[in-house]
Amino acid sequence: MSSEVKEFKIKWGMVIDIDKCTGCGACMVACQAENNVAPAVDGSNKLRSLNWLTVFRLSNHKPFPDHEVAYLPRPCMQCGKPSCVAVCPVVATDKREEGGIVSQIPPRCIGCRYCMASCPYHARYFNWYDPKWPGDLAQALTPDVSTRMRGVVEKCSFCHHRFMKAQEKAVANGQDPMNLPDGAYITACTEACPNGAITFGDLNNPAHKVHELIKSPYAFRLLERLGTEPQVYYLSKREWVRREGDNYLEHEKTGEARKQG
Amino acid sequence: MEERNNTTTPANAAKKCCCGWGAFVVGLVVALILGWWVLPNLMKETKRQPIAFSHVEHVQNQGMTCEQCHFVRADGTFSGAPTTAQCAECHSTILGNDPEEARFVREYVQTGREIKSEWLIYQKQPDNVFFSHALHFGPLAELKGPAEVSAFCSRCHLNVAETDVPPVYRENRLSGYSENTMLMWGCERCHAEHMAMGNTNASNACFTCHK
Amino acid sequence: MDRRGFLKFAAGGTVGLVASPIIWNTLYDAVYWTQNWGWIPRLKKGASEYLPTVSKICPSGTGFLVRTVAGTPVRTIGDRNNPVTHGAITALAAAEAELRVSPARLKTPLRRSSDGAYIAITWAEAERLLKEKMQAAGSSVAAVSGDPTSSINEVLSSMLNQKGSSDFYFMPGDEQPAALAWEAMGGQGRLGYDMEGSDCILAVGAPVLESWGVVAANRSLFNRTHPVGGEATQKFLYAGAVQNNTAAGADLWLPMKNGTDMALMLGIAHLLIKAGKKGFAAGLGNFAAFVEAYTPEKVSAITGVPSARLEAAAKMLVEARRPLVIAGSALGSGGSAGPVMAAVALNMLLGSVNRQGGMLDMPFPVSVVDHATEYRATIAKRFVDYTQSVAAGKTKAPAFLLVYAANPVYSLPADAGMKETLAKAGFTVAVASFMSETCAQCDLVLPAALGMEAFDDVQTPYGSGRVTYALARPVAKPFENARGAGELFIALAQELGLELGVKDMPELLYKHAYALGAPFRSMMEEGKVHVAGFDLPASPLFYNWEAIRLAASAPGAEGDLQVAPVVVLGMGTAQTAIPPFATKVVTDYQLKGRYSVAQMNGATAAKLKVKAGDLVRLVAGNNVEITVVAAIFEGILPDTVSLAAGLGHTAFDEFSKGKGANVLALTSVCREPGTGLPVWGLAGVKAARA
Repeated sequence: MSSEVKEFKIKWGMVIDIDKCTGCGACMVACQAENNVAPAVDGSNKLRSLNWLTVFRLSNHKPFPDHEVAYLPRPCMQCGKPSCVAVCPVVATDKREEGGIVSQIPPRCIGCRYCMASCPYHARYFNWYDPKWPGDLAQALTPDVSTRMRGVVEKCSFCHHRFMKAQEKAVANGQDPMNLPDGAYITACTEACPNGAITFGDLNNPAHKVHELIKSPYAFRLLERLGTEPQVYYLSKREWVRREGDNYLEHEKTGEARKQG
Repeated sequence: MEERNNTTTPANAAKKCCCGWGAFVVGLVVALILGWWVLPNLMKETKRQPIAFSHVEHVQNQGMTCEQCHFVRADGTFSGAPTTAQCAECHSTILGNDPEEARFVREYVQTGREIKSEWLIYQKQPDNVFFSHALHFGPLAELKGPAEVSAFCSRCHLNVAETDVPPVYRENRLSGYSENTMLMWGCERCHAEHMAMGNTNASNACFTCHK
Repeated sequence: MDRRGFLKFAAGGTVGLVASPIIWNTLYDAVYWTQNWGWIPRLKKGASEYLPTVSKICPSGTGFLVRTVAGTPVRTIGDRNNPVTHGAITALAAAEAELRVSPARLKTPLRRSSDGAYIAITWAEAERLLKEKMQAAGSSVAAVSGDPTSSINEVLSSMLNQKGSSDFYFMPGDEQPAALAWEAMGGQGRLGYDMEGSDCILAVGAPVLESWGVVAANRSLFNRTHPVGGEATQKFLYAGAVQNNTAAGADLWLPMKNGTDMALMLGIAHLLIKAGKKGFAAGLGNFAAFVEAYTPEKVSAITGVPSARLEAAAKMLVEARRPLVIAGSALGSGGSAGPVMAAVALNMLLGSVNRQGGMLDMPFPVSVVDHATEYRATIAKRFVDYTQSVAAGKTKAPAFLLVYAANPVYSLPADAGMKETLAKAGFTVAVASFMSETCAQCDLVLPAALGMEAFDDVQTPYGSGRVTYALARPVAKPFENARGAGELFIALAQELGLELGVKDMPELLYKHAYALGAPFRSMMEEGKVHVAGFDLPASPLFYNWEAIRLAASAPGAEGDLQVAPVVVLGMGTAQTAIPPFATKVVTDYQLKGRYSVAQMNGATAAKLKVKAGDLVRLVAGNNVEITVVAAIFEGILPDTVSLAAGLGHTAFDEFSKGKGANVLALTSVCREPGTGLPVWGLAGVKAARA
């Protein structure tokens, strides 16, 4: 079904500058709150908690004192050739819409979790239990994203509801919803990052900052050589950080895959 | 079996046959009545709106426009029904001598109770549906006169513009939704078949309508 | 009817039902149940509003927009129009809308009964009790506030002063040692830092990108000076024992043994003087002679910082046009004054005092409430001296003790005497938003509104380089029965017949705005934030080398292993615990199941004969023992283990309770030589596999 890379006129993408991220987690908090992901009592248990966006700690694997640390926030990559879409037996996940965001419709999901197995980025999470908002916490649910139930898979949607709202606002103000200005639609994590590490925009639109940023020699994507064509790019001036983005043999250099196209 | 058949007298057979078909017809009729009228009505609970709001009074007699109560906010979201505060812009005191009017002012305006949160929505959609009025208002600009607007809105909504009392709200006991709630196939009349109502160019991707 | 007739009737019925829509409609309606899970909460509808105000939970006074839906807050979003924080938001402030309705939130006044259980009482009863007890206590009243930026403190101190008590305190923070150090070096005003004007910042011990100073402003500065994919316009160096979040943003990390901040800075002073950087002031000769002994080799041996990096750091400072050195504690409390004195001396050498991009002599916040103690006087007072003295019986225990916006039972070391003081005090009151460890020990617990629910303010927080003033406005109704603390105290003062000179919070805030020349109306109506200018005085700073020498003689921590605490704002502050929506920020290298995780480098682990995942027993000098899980992380000094602060809560809710151990339990209070300041934060432990 998705044997070829899907192209759209608009391609929403993210550029995350790893050299700017210091791992505070504000993006994760904002993401959870915006998308009505239920709080986890033990959030440090990453096997049982749902994280649409997770910040990983990277290491250059050198012993003290030459050790270096970096943080890598991982949303859904919104792949151009999403392996999850290919395996979903019920079309609960799809990539069909202008913008190139991979959709996930929880009530349609049958919980087979093929998509989780196929996602090379571990960006998908399964509701093993019913989500719980103890006490009065449900009062703080946003009206934007429906709550999920046990037995379904969920994942980052690039805050798709914000795309819809931006379109709605553009139409109400007589602007073209298919040509949003830079910044009219950004995700909750982009908005929350106090270090400004995340830049969001239309990768195809020259008026958007991300359009230029992804051409940087320091830009890379995760597991690029799998050919999933993620719409999330990372930037780092540090070679060791870029090497963490894929499995490289010792003699291989980063950026080769990009050169080959 | 055979033996029994053999013992049946012609008279008996005729009588049985007649009675048998009668039972079938009675069963059929009873079931049809049950299935078409009794059970569907039992499945639905009739509810009343908190206030017997009259569109006729507001629109025809007072000359209000639709947009005074149903409007797109600056952020593009749609305000479907007015809040108590908006109503109170005119109804700060009892106007006229309608008992419902008096009750509204007494129970809502004076106490600050929110009418909007009690109003029953005929077209109530589940949480996972994203619907933007603004994105569907494209043709609205070209329409002329309230009659055309009414016709346009009532492609999805009940036509209430000329009602003196709100239509009866019937809630399905099993699903909890209004009987007027539009289902997905209703949306797909345009979203899946673009030429159904002129070229709408509507996307039928999941995220277009789901959140 | 016979059997055959009945069957025919049934057949007719079946055909009839099949021919009617009921079966199909029922099946269709049942499909709704794929979405109608009644026990899963539904979303609410209504108009969204984005209302600007400031956080009172986040110590940096993050400016945020509270998004309300039909009046209920659902999100907090960084406010880009805020001139202090420029839209930056901390993980803590980002979780505030959910924190507002968290299970630990206090809903109604509680009174402790004789059997220790809490009984809900009405506000009328609570106020009557408060008035009675305060009246009866006479001058034997004391209060502590955990929110130094609020003008509510003035109401409290005024009430105490009028009753004849001078026992109003701030909870210990980074400012107290800094104020002492600044004064010792000749500073006359309040110590400030113009980080924005600097092109090279060295932060020693102070995690400026995570918890020190005005974090949200620091982060927004980091954002602006480090453009995406571009060249940084500001160099940033960090010295600390652990490669924490602040180190992750630093151009150069100086791995510095805990508690050796002074030696490190004196070593840099040595190198600066050698490089010809010797800003003149009285005492320079003596100071230069004193640091002569701090050669890179010696400093490297004391601090663990490789001498090459020490020299690289000094070189970066020398080459910078407007360098700035900042010192502070990793914990945010219990720090010493010595490192700040050393930092002042370094800035003096570099010529970075009272100029753009340097340390500044700023005005202190002023008090506008009648009879209130000035901020400057309150900051000089030492709460731990008081509690230890009460615990030891040297000072009479207060008949009435009020704890406002603070959780001292959790956030002070065990030997600080807080528990004893609460036990000895006649009547104890906690005014707080959440059921904390301190509330659990008080006779009366009063639910306070959050910043987004009541009138409050943020006066220039410590760490700022500008005089700022922001109002916290009630953009939402107080949760359940919570009440604004300011209004509560003003009403209490009126009941007691005390004179404040203000009748309510808006008037108090107005007076502050007026004193600063701030536009009160637009602050109140639109949430505007005021940034005031101030004149740089020529304060006669001098190298107080005697004080520096004394402070530098402080002994390091004992034990085989040093504990390096790491504060992450997402895991709460001294006032709050882990917000429900920030539990996922807690990583598996901070907490594993019930245990805190102790990170150590491979060499340390080999020495201790432990592997990653092993349970390790840590025994501190005060004989407190905790069990932790070992994890290997190379970004940490040898013979040092790092533990996350903010764990080990015994109160609050399931999101905080019973998780790991409180790192403060391992520390003990000692006195800094020279200043006599109560300090903690250094803990030496012995480790063994459990």
